[in-house]
Amino acid sequence: MSDNQNSFRYPEEIKPEFIKTEDIVFRDGSSVSASEIWRFMTEEAPVRYPYAYSNNRYYGRRLSKDIRLPSSIKHNYLMLTMNDRTSKARENGTPIIFVQGGQSVDPYYASGGIALRPASTGAWARGKEEGLNLREEELRSNDVREKARKAIGFEICQSAGYEHIQEGDLPVDMVAPYLCLRCSDVGYGVEAHRHGKRKLDLFLVDYPLDHQREKEWAVEYVAKNLRRLTQKIGKLAGKEVTEEDLREEIKLHNKGRKIAIDAADSWWSARVTPTNGADRRAVFQMGGMEQHGDPNASLTVLKEANKDIKERVKHSIKGEGVADDAKRLFISGSCVFPNDFRTEEAGGIIVANDNHWSDITTLVEETGDPYEKLAKAIISYPYEQPIEERAKWTAGEVKKSRSDGVLFLYNWGCNTQSAVARMLCDSIHEETGIPTMIIEHEQRGEQTEQLQNRVNAFIEMLN
Amino acid sequence: MVLETLRRIEEAVKERPQELAKAREKGARVVGWFNYNVPEEIIHALGLTPIRLGTGGDDRLVEIGSRYISTKNCVYARELVGLFAENQDPYIKNSDLVAVDATCLQTYRVAEIIKYFFKVNTLILGVPRNFYLSEGQEYFTKELEFFTQKLEEFAGSKLDTKKLAESIKLYNGIRKATKDLYEYQAVVHPPIKWREVFDVVHAGYYLDREKYLSLLKELLIELKEKHGSPVIGNLNGDARIFISGSIIPPKDTKLINIIEEVGGRIVGDDLWSGINPVLDVNIKEPSIKGIADAYINRVPHAALPYLDLETDKRLANLKKLIKDSQAQGVVFHTLRFCDPFSFKAGETKEVLRKEGVSLLEIHTEYADSDVEAIRTRTEAFVEMVKNKNLLEVEA
Repeated sequence: MSDNQNSFRYPEEIKPEFIKTEDIVFRDGSSVSASEIWRFMTEEAPVRYPYAYSNNRYYGRRLSKDIRLPSSIKHNYLMLTMNDRTSKARENGTPIIFVQGGQSVDPYYASGGIALRPASTGAWARGKEEGLNLREEELRSNDVREKARKAIGFEICQSAGYEHIQEGDLPVDMVAPYLCLRCSDVGYGVEAHRHGKRKLDLFLVDYPLDHQREKEWAVEYVAKNLRRLTQKIGKLAGKEVTEEDLREEIKLHNKGRKIAIDAADSWWSARVTPTNGADRRAVFQMGGMEQHGDPNASLTVLKEANKDIKERVKHSIKGEGVADDAKRLFISGSCVFPNDFRTEEAGGIIVANDNHWSDITTLVEETGDPYEKLAKAIISYPYEQPIEERAKWTAGEVKKSRSDGVLFLYNWGCNTQSAVARMLCDSIHEETGIPTMIIEHEQRGEQTEQLQNRVNAFIEMLN
Repeated sequence: MVLETLRRIEEAVKERPQELAKAREKGARVVGWFNYNVPEEIIHALGLTPIRLGTGGDDRLVEIGSRYISTKNCVYARELVGLFAENQDPYIKNSDLVAVDATCLQTYRVAEIIKYFFKVNTLILGVPRNFYLSEGQEYFTKELEFFTQKLEEFAGSKLDTKKLAESIKLYNGIRKATKDLYEYQAVVHPPIKWREVFDVVHAGYYLDREKYLSLLKELLIELKEKHGSPVIGNLNGDARIFISGSIIPPKDTKLINIIEEVGGRIVGDDLWSGINPVLDVNIKEPSIKGIADAYINRVPHAALPYLDLETDKRLANLKKLIKDSQAQGVVFHTLRFCDPFSFKAGETKEVLRKEGVSLLEIHTEYADSDVEAIRTRTEAFVEMVKNKNLLEVEA
């Protein structure tokens, strides 16, 4: 690998093997070959998006150095082409819907829309301005985020994409997330659009709280919300949405969920850790089929990644940058992570997380009324259950992932996750006997070193 | 002028803990509750004793609560947890069941925490975020039926329609009397201060509800005898301040003291610990559905997102109350990490600016470290309102 002015480049020596790998097939039936992906990632993207190639050790999103994992390169390709693909789809009349992380996106695609969560919206926004280095990109990003803070409040952790949608230049058509218990800010963030400069379609799929999954009326309520949602998106897309559309979409998304669960089982049970933490997370999260704004493309890459992981497990190939006896960390809490690469430098590895995983592990029944089945699955997400139930599920995942310790990270300003931190950690500790630690995650770019110090101290303690 | 009934209400509140403990010894069962949408009528009709729980303003309790809940939660939530952790508050000690509606997510989390750490017997009432949609209202009715069923099991008796009708009548009386009382504090030479009315409202959290209504009626008679009917008009140069925003529970007097100390006169509020819970509760039939429809259609809590600014009933209510009380400036009280209100501060300011009403946001906690900073800002605001009055008089 070359390192030009602290920038990363994919080395030419891997090209012959990489270009033999599978194409990515998109939702519209088009595809891109591995050769074309290689050209983009080695020639075009480094010029258009220099920040993405930065090797700065504080940059948590830097590209994985596991160059012999094709799915990793393809995932990054999909992230870096987010603007090209989404803008084109929007120009062709596909409505773009803003959602939140950790929720299924089946109904949005069934209705002819594209669902983007905050991280994906961020990727789309980053693609709007080219030629920026890391510093310039962070300044731009912080600047636009400040506008959201001004429009909503400085205590927001989750601005519901407000900055990009109202203050930036993303042509989002509708803001319509599920209202999970995970995040209280998202509801208020959506509400804030009512006073924004741009008038948008707004809707919330409600999430009734507290032991609701066995209540028929709660399922009916969410199902009716979902019907409203698909009707609204269908209207934007100029499409009559049928139950069959939703049923087919559920089947497609179940495939992704099942493959991700299978990949996780292989990864967790491996004697030698098959990928680094960043690649693991990307693969597991592809099971939600939402991060790339194209479920079919995500599914293509996920299938390939699952095969890659199984091969590595079979041949005891270790992921790049992972220590031999790395301490295995489970991340619980808000939608934030410590820096994977620096955690690995310190002798740890993040092997699992509850956020953005509980929805993937919840399969939707494929027969019967698809709205009701989907509603039932949604209100069964383990991460959103009352804390004792959530703790039981989390402890189970901690055991399955053979984690050595649990880090509960909550984002600054995240009321609902921070509230349950101690309760959840106590409960997990009681169930598993392994150490837990609670850390407050400051807003991006702030106090990175302090956060990492705490993570590293925890790893050291586990040693 | 001292109002005799106020003194009697104060005495009754002092005696209430002992009275409650004795009643429990004789078999009475107490349902403590917190949040916004628990219908007391049902608790009362089942022969249970409803008590609204929660106090504010005590930093020591906040610290105790912070051992179990995060500092990224509002101080009210933290103090609530502290109250349960310490278990010295007479109303908490005497609660056999704690009912909580899932309106504010942080207080829902409080319910989880007190159940987990202190083994409190809790009962949750689900509240729809899409409260304005027909399916949201259907959901709330079903939730209230489920909630009532659990209360019936707890009470060991079934809800009787006749008793429910009587309870509704009683609570309608309390609501009407409270609204009447608010009118007296807003007149030019008020026979009762807003602060006293606020204390009377809080007395209603604890007192036996029949006794409370009787005292309210006596207070209104006393006010009428001494003052006549209330007529709000002919402003006399006071800086008439309206309080809005996050909850100001019993014992949280920090901001109220400051406003009064710098010469402001509070003439109204739309607090969920003030007048709001008694507004627009129109129960059309003595049934669970009748109560569910009335509660879900009254002035909504800010924790329930509403997506259209123009038709927001909460804002319409705020504007109406400001107009009715002839307030000239709004102090918008936001507790740190109280997202339902603090995220709406800027928006509310803009909405009221169009109405010609100034708004000062005070973002605070229970600690005293910001008292002087708040005093400076509030004093400047009150002065500005007074100057505006002078200019209007000169004009």
